[in-house]
Amino acid sequence: MSDTAVPDSPWAAPPQAAPAQPQPDGMQVEFTGRRWPLFWLALKTGFFTILTLGFYRFWMKTRLRRWYWSAIRPGGHPLEYVGDPLEKLLGFFIAVVVLTFYIGIVNLLLMFVSFSVFNSSWLGYLASFAGVIPIWFYARYRARRYVLARTRWRGVRFGLEKGAWGYAGRALVHWAVTILTLGILWPRMTFALEKYRTDRTFFGSARLVQQGRWQMLYRAALPFIAVVIAGMALVLWILVIDPITPDLLSNPGSLPSRFVTALQLGRWPLGWESPERLWAVPVLMAGLVYGAIHYRWVAKRIMANHKAAYGVTFASRLQGPRIAMIYTLGTFISYLVLVLGIALLVVLSIAMYGPTAWLEGANAAGLGGLGNLPRWLSFGILGVIYLSVFLLWGVLHNTFVTFPIMRHMARTTTLPTTAGLQAISQRDRDAFAEAEGFAEALDLGAAI
Amino acid sequence: MSIGFDAMGAAFFEGDRPVAEEVSLHIASGILQIGLDDGRILRWPVEDVRQLPDTAGKVGAVLWLKGDPLARLFVTDTSLLTHLPNRLRRTPPKGRGRLAAWALAAVAAVALQIGVLVPLLADNMAAYIPPAGERALGEATFGHIREALDDTGLNPVPLCEAPGGVAALERLVARLDAPTNGVPQINVAVLDHPMVNAFALPGGFVVLFRGLIEAAESPDEVAAVLAHEIGHVVSRDPTRHALRSAGSIGVLGLLFGDFAGGAAVLFLTERLIAAQYSQEAEAGADSFAHDVLARAGISPGALGDMFESFRRKYGDRDGVAAHFLSHPALGARIEAARAAVEAGAAYNPALSAEDWAALRGICE
Repeated sequence: MSDTAVPDSPWAAPPQAAPAQPQPDGMQVEFTGRRWPLFWLALKTGFFTILTLGFYRFWMKTRLRRWYWSAIRPGGHPLEYVGDPLEKLLGFFIAVVVLTFYIGIVNLLLMFVSFSVFNSSWLGYLASFAGVIPIWFYARYRARRYVLARTRWRGVRFGLEKGAWGYAGRALVHWAVTILTLGILWPRMTFALEKYRTDRTFFGSARLVQQGRWQMLYRAALPFIAVVIAGMALVLWILVIDPITPDLLSNPGSLPSRFVTALQLGRWPLGWESPERLWAVPVLMAGLVYGAIHYRWVAKRIMANHKAAYGVTFASRLQGPRIAMIYTLGTFISYLVLVLGIALLVVLSIAMYGPTAWLEGANAAGLGGLGNLPRWLSFGILGVIYLSVFLLWGVLHNTFVTFPIMRHMARTTTLPTTAGLQAISQRDRDAFAEAEGFAEALDLGAAI
Repeated sequence: MSIGFDAMGAAFFEGDRPVAEEVSLHIASGILQIGLDDGRILRWPVEDVRQLPDTAGKVGAVLWLKGDPLARLFVTDTSLLTHLPNRLRRTPPKGRGRLAAWALAAVAAVALQIGVLVPLLADNMAAYIPPAGERALGEATFGHIREALDDTGLNPVPLCEAPGGVAALERLVARLDAPTNGVPQINVAVLDHPMVNAFALPGGFVVLFRGLIEAAESPDEVAAVLAHEIGHVVSRDPTRHALRSAGSIGVLGLLFGDFAGGAAVLFLTERLIAAQYSQEAEAGADSFAHDVLARAGISPGALGDMFESFRRKYGDRDGVAAHFLSHPALGARIEAARAAVEAGAAYNPALSAEDWAALRGICE
């Protein structure tokens, strides 16, 4: 409480003295959104997206972002998302023109060469995929630039400087180094790429700076490292120190025939040495997933604590276990509701058309069921069902994963120092014709 | 008359510095008066005040004045909102006409690529792809089609390979003895599927469906279909078609936000099976079939019979033999087949009775 006005002071307590502030100068981030309004917004916009064969998705994304942004309120004042759906549509078209050229013409040539010279398609696929990788990084940076350029707080714009190709080049080099060092230098990549982006980020006239060193991120990787070491110890234990199937390991060449025998007998015909040790494998797998989530988010926290602008600092108390719990529960709930929903749909359709309708359709002729309908129509129906399942998944993912993570991130963030805000002024608008078209076309950042 | 509002927690942002200014709020004679600390009073006509849409939570609303894209007024007293008649009216940003023009240009560019550039390139490439590559392309496509045709999507549709039937089919192909025109070999396969259809793939693959063999009334009709499909193979129609599809499918997938693509694969299969070649390509394959049949001593009229009996049995229904039936000039094609029959020529059945029985039993 900063409201410590002296009782008998002649000065009235200032009316604006906000109730909960960590320091006189500090600022809390509030989160005001609730789950169900978001669910309905996502469902409604998702429904329109199906009706328009996917073209409403630009409006859907805009509206969801507006909602999320307005829920996040540093110092009680909401962020504002000013992106325009039509500019997203245009950006998408621009990206499609460029990518059609790539996918249509270049892929055609690659396939031709691949089939003509190597008599197979995999080389063509490989080359075509490799060609997309730099565009992928480029698109990620451009999408971030677009989103920041369309975000405001207290009427002042955020922004990201140009530099997408620089980012793509660095990302490629860092990935190569990371792969060559078997992942040991992964934190170096995380830090360097985040620093590249952060150091080009502005709020109004104030430039953000990423401080700290890349070595500090190893702390975030501790759970992952521990699980990897435990996994190696387990492998050593069950294969070398106290082999789990001694006779097989002494003669590994017999594995295929043993496997066939096992299938025929319905059981593993070998002598097991305390096979209960194998239960450690799923536990370690789960541990690896946890380690990966922990690293990703705790690294974000550590780097957030080392970000600063002139006179403005950040502090995050984000909790890795909490995020992991949100992922686990959210994914579980989403799958559960999705499976129940599909089951309901199947039951309904059987109730309406009778259980044999599908079989009769398949016998009459044509592809799949729905044989009495023209083929284009049955393909259309299949397409709509396919779209619906994915959109339902998106809605649930928004409600049970994105929403709680956003809320947790917002509520654990504070700005201990905000004196520098006084010195900040507005920055120019970043016109940016292609918006996040490339990211949209390449299906990056599909959720938010 | 003037109405005052609770300005506790309300803030004005002028759009330059991220600093909240305290305000007092009044509405008098249709003007929202925003009193600032330094004594200035901003006057916003109530009909020009807009509210930001899709705001989360019940606390607070953000208002702005039409024509001023930067200044924002954050209010907590929601009773103020009822005095703003146009607060929810859409106020799109400027410059949308230019945007629409760009979008139109972009769509035109995509259409140009799909409609002109890709087919042109594909047609030219089809002539240069070496036989082994063409064959690999055909094998890959055949695998995809067999997987996609299966209703469960788990196993590829099986091939029919009863030895007697295969031998009969081989004899039939040998009897047709079609000129291969550079295609090293022609492989005929039968798919165990009820569709009444047949199609050709790059690299000399001709695929008949079980449904077609069952629906045919004589071996001559099967021979006619076979000759027609070989005609497509020899003129490399399927190669051109596969290359074109490879080019344009990815583009369509992009447009509908399905880059990785289940729907695209579905669509690709659909297009390859119900391949609608151009009118000239169909006519070319027909006349090729007439020649081959006549030389083999089989009545070229069988092709017309096949069309005729399908049309009688199934009407113009979609999905059944669409490849043959949906062509607008079907009547003309039947006429052409009948005209190719020479009055005095002696024709023999395409297969002996035993072979025909074996062929009908190829899927058993």
